Amino acid sequence: MTTSGRKSRLLRLGAALTPLCFMAAACSGGGGDPADFPDDNIEVIVPFSAGGPTDTVTRMIAEPMAEELGVQVVVQNIEGAGGTVAAGEAAQADADGYTVLMHHIGMSTAPTLYPDLDFNPVEDFKTIGLVTEVPMTVIARKDLEPTTLEELTTYVTDNEDSVTLAHAGIGSASHLCGVLLQQAMGVEVQEVPYDGTGPAIADLVGGQVDFMCDQTTNTTTQITSGAVKGYAVTTTEPVESLPDLPTAAEAGLDELEVTVWHGLYVPSDTPDEVVEKLNSALQVALKDQGVIDQMGDLGTAPVAEDQATPDALTQKLESEIDAWSGVLSGITAE
Amino acid sequence: MASPQNEVDATARRGLRPRSDADLIAGLVFVAFGVAFGVASLGYTIGSLREMGSGYAPLLFALVLTGLGIGAIVKAYVSPDTHHPGELPPEDGSVGLGFERVHWRPIVFVVAALLFFALTVDGLGLLPATFGTSAIAAFAGKGMAPFRALLIAVGLTVGCYVVFVLLLQLRLPLLGEWLG
Amino acid sequence: MDLLDNLGLGLQTALQWQNILFCLIGVALGTAVGVLPGIGPTATVAMLLPITFSFDEPVSALIMLAGIYYGAQYGGSTTAILINLPGESSSAVTAIDGHQMARDGRAGHALAVAAIGSFVAGTIATLVLAVAAPPLARAALNFGPAEYFALVVLGLIASITLASGSTVKALAMIVLGILLGTVGQDIYTGTPRFTFGIRELYSGINFVSVAVGVFGVAEILRNLHDPQRRTKMVDKVTNLWPSREVLRSIVGPVARGTGLGSVLGVLPGGGHVLASYASYAVEKRTSKHPEEFGRGAIAGVAGPESANNAAAQTSFIPLLTLGIPAHPVMALMVGAFIIQGITPGPEVMTSEPELFWGLIASMWVGNLLLVLLNLPLIGLWVRMLTVPYSVLFPTIVTLACIGTYSLGQNAFHVLAIAFFGLLGFVLLRSGCEPAPLLLGFVLGPLLEENLRRALLISKGDPSVFLTRPISATLLALAALALLLAVLPTIRRKRETVFVEGE
Repeated sequence: MTTSGRKSRLLRLGAALTPLCFMAAACSGGGGDPADFPDDNIEVIVPFSAGGPTDTVTRMIAEPMAEELGVQVVVQNIEGAGGTVAAGEAAQADADGYTVLMHHIGMSTAPTLYPDLDFNPVEDFKTIGLVTEVPMTVIARKDLEPTTLEELTTYVTDNEDSVTLAHAGIGSASHLCGVLLQQAMGVEVQEVPYDGTGPAIADLVGGQVDFMCDQTTNTTTQITSGAVKGYAVTTTEPVESLPDLPTAAEAGLDELEVTVWHGLYVPSDTPDEVVEKLNSALQVALKDQGVIDQMGDLGTAPVAEDQATPDALTQKLESEIDAWSGVLSGITAE
Repeated sequence: MASPQNEVDATARRGLRPRSDADLIAGLVFVAFGVAFGVASLGYTIGSLREMGSGYAPLLFALVLTGLGIGAIVKAYVSPDTHHPGELPPEDGSVGLGFERVHWRPIVFVVAALLFFALTVDGLGLLPATFGTSAIAAFAGKGMAPFRALLIAVGLTVGCYVVFVLLLQLRLPLLGEWLG
Repeated sequence: MDLLDNLGLGLQTALQWQNILFCLIGVALGTAVGVLPGIGPTATVAMLLPITFSFDEPVSALIMLAGIYYGAQYGGSTTAILINLPGESSSAVTAIDGHQMARDGRAGHALAVAAIGSFVAGTIATLVLAVAAPPLARAALNFGPAEYFALVVLGLIASITLASGSTVKALAMIVLGILLGTVGQDIYTGTPRFTFGIRELYSGINFVSVAVGVFGVAEILRNLHDPQRRTKMVDKVTNLWPSREVLRSIVGPVARGTGLGSVLGVLPGGGHVLASYASYAVEKRTSKHPEEFGRGAIAGVAGPESANNAAAQTSFIPLLTLGIPAHPVMALMVGAFIIQGITPGPEVMTSEPELFWGLIASMWVGNLLLVLLNLPLIGLWVRMLTVPYSVLFPTIVTLACIGTYSLGQNAFHVLAIAFFGLLGFVLLRSGCEPAPLLLGFVLGPLLEENLRRALLISKGDPSVFLTRPISATLLALAALALLLAVLPTIRRKRETVFVEGE
C-alpha cells in the first residue's frame, strides 16, 4: 500500500467518524433552557435490580410520564449498598432534570445506616413527589399456632428465646418493619437475615423460620394461597387485595405503622420550572387507569393527589429520617 | 520446551533453592492473601459459634488459606509438582512456569488498556475511551505497526458504537464532561 | 390424561406463529448478546428485559424472555469455548475442557456437543417440570440452611476435581475464592468488610470482573507469551461436525448431567450454581480416562452443559409453583410477570393455565429453536477463530471493558478486571487453575450465609448438621469425596519418595 493510499483511507475513515461525533455531542448535550424542558430523553435511576418491586413501580409510571412529557423515559438500574450508590450518583448528576432518582424508604434510613454517606438526602436533592406507599404484612409459617396478631404477640412473648424472625438483610424494608414489630410487641427475638426477600420467604414457606414482615408485593400470593399465615397489614387502612387482614392498629399493635414509600428526586440545583413539569407528569401518571390497576395487583395504590407533591415528599423524608434515626440507633453499617 | 523434570533436577542441585518456583510463588501469594484477610478480619466482630460476627468466617478461611500457602511453600522445597511417566505432560509450557520467560510488553499494554478505559470512560466518554483502549491493547502484540493499531482502534470504536449504542441502545455517555 | 391435555394446551399456545417468532427472536437476540465477552446471561436478560415490557400479550412477552435466557446461556458457553471467557459460573466449567478442545481444533465438536447436550437436557427437564413441578417444589422446601451448607461443602470439595494439578493448590484456590467472596457488606450485621471505604465494593466484587480477569485477561497474556499456542488452534479448524462415535460417547454424560441438573435446579437456594460443577466432578470420577479431563475431554463439556441447561429449566419450578425466584435471572422474570399483570405463585397454574403450560411448552420450543439456529452457525463461530489474534485480543479487551462498564455504568469494575487479570496470570504461572477460585467465589457467600443461619436457628448447636438426615448424608459424601481426592496424591507422593530413595 502506498503512503498516499494510506492517507486517503485514513481521511475517509475520519470523515466517516465525524458525523458520529456530532451525533454524540448532540445526544449527550441535552437542552439548556428550562423553558424548553424536556427536549431529550429522561433517565430515571432505580437503585435496585431490574425486576424488583421498586423497578416495577418505576416502569409502571415511566410510560404515562413519557407520554405526558413527549420524550422517552428510560429506566437505568444502578445497584449497590442499599441504594446509596445510585443516590450518590444522582446527587452529582447534571441538575437539568434529565436525571431523576426513584428511591424508597431507604432514602430516609441511609443517614443512620451509613454514617459516611457521600450525599445528604435532604440538601442534595429537590423532591418531585411521592409515588406510592406499599403496605407491609405480618406473616408466619403456616403451621405456627397463633391465628390472630394478638395471639401471635402472646406466642412470641412466651417463646422469646426460641422464635426466629426472618428479614431480607440489614436496612431492607422487611428488616425495618421487623425492628418496629419487635418494638411494638416489646420483645427482642432472634433475627435471621437473608440476602433478599426471595430466599427469606422460601425458608418461611418451608417452615425453617417462624415469622417475618414484608411488602404486599412479595407476600400477597403467598398469603392468599395459604403458603404462609397472614396476620395484619401495617397501614392505617385495610388493603383491598387482602380483605381478611386487619390493620395492625385494629389488631392491637398501634405502634406498627409503616409503609414502603417511594418518591422521585432530582439534584438540588434543578430549576423549579423543570421540577414543576416533572411533577405534573407524575400527577398525570398516577391517575392513569393502567397504573392504578397494575399497582392494585401488587396490593398497593398511587398516593393521593396532595401527596404527589414536592412538599409532601420533603415532609415525609424529613420526618422519616428523624423517626428511623431513633429506631435504628445502634444498628449501623459500620 | 525444556522438560520440567530436568529443570527440577537442575535447581535442586543448586543447594537450598526451591525445587519449584511455581509452588513457591503460589504459596507466597496464598500466604500474602491469607495474612492480609486474616489481619483485616481482626478488625471486625468475631463473635461466637452461636452468633458469628462479621469477622468469624473470614478469619477462619484466612487461617486455612495461610496454612495451605505454607503447605505449598514447603512443597516447593520438598516435593514439587513433577510429571510422572504415564501421565500426559502439561499442555504447554505456560502453566506452572513461575516467572521464567515473562514478557513485560503484553502485561504492561493490556493492563494499561484496562486502566485507560477505567480512568477515562467517565471523563472522556465512551467513544474516546474505546478508541484509546483498543489502540493501547493492540500494542500488546509483538511488532504492532502504529498504522495497523490505528485501524484496529477505529474499526473497534465504530463497531462498538454500532453494537452497544445503536443496536443495544445502552444509555452510555458518548462524549464525557472533560470534552464539554 | 391430564398431562397430555395440559401439554396439548401448552403446545397450542407455544406453536402459534407469532409466539414461535418471538421465541426465535428471543433466542437469536439472547445468543447474540450473550456471546459478547463480559456480558453473562443475567446481564443479557437484564439488558433485553425492557423490550418485552411493551408487549400486550403476556404469553408472548414471557416466551420471548425465556428464549432470551436460553439464548444467552448458549451464547455464554460459546464465548467460554472459543476464547476461554466464561460469563457466568457454570460456563467456567465448560471453559476448562471446551476451550482445550477448541485449541486442539475441535471447537466445532465442543459447540455441537454443547448444543445437542443442552437440547436433550432441556427436553427431558421440560418433561420433569410438566409432570412433577408441585411435588418437587415441596420437596425442595425441606432444604433448610443446614442442608444448603452441607450441599455447598460437597460442591466445594468436589470442585477439587476441576483442577488437574496439585490438590493443595486447588484447595487454596477455592479458599482464596471464598475469601474474595466475603468482600462487601455482611448481610447479618451490615458491616462492610474489606471494602476500604470504596462504595462499589459494598455489594461485593463483581463476578464478571473476576471471571474476565482470571480467565479472559490471563488467557490473553498467556497467548501473547506463546504465539504458537494460537497458531496450533487456527491451523486445525477443520472438522466441524462430531462423528457418530463421538455422539455415542456423550450419551452417558448427557444423561447423568440431565439427572443431576434437574434435581439441583429445583433447589431455590443456589442449587443451579452447583449443577455444572457436580456434573464435571461425576464425569471425571466415573471416566475410564480421568487424565483426559482438563485436556479436552468431550464428556467435560457434554455433562456440565446438559446439567446446566437442565437446571436452568427446572429452576423455573420454584418460581412457577411457589413464586420464589431461585436466582437473579428468575428475579428478573418475576419483574416481567408483574409488569404483565401476573403475580407468579401457586395460582398461576390454575388461574392462567394457558400461560403456565404455554410457557412450559415454549421452553421446549425454545430449546429446539436454539439447536436449529446454532448448529448451522457453528461454522461461523469457529471461523471467528481464524481472525488474526492481533485483532481478536484487542477486540476482546475492549468489548469486555464496555460490557462490564455498561451494567451500572461503573468504571470501578473495569479497574477490578486489571487487578484480577494480573492476579490470574501470576497464579496461572504458579500452576494454579482459575476454575476452583471462581467456584469458591460464587459459593463462598452461600457457605457462610447458610452456616451462620443454621447456627442462629439452632442456637449455636453444630450437631444440627449431623442430626438432619439430608445434611448428614451430604456431609458424609463430602468427606468421602475429600478422601478420594487426597488419597491418590498421598499414594503418588509415597511412590515419588520411593523412587527418589532408590
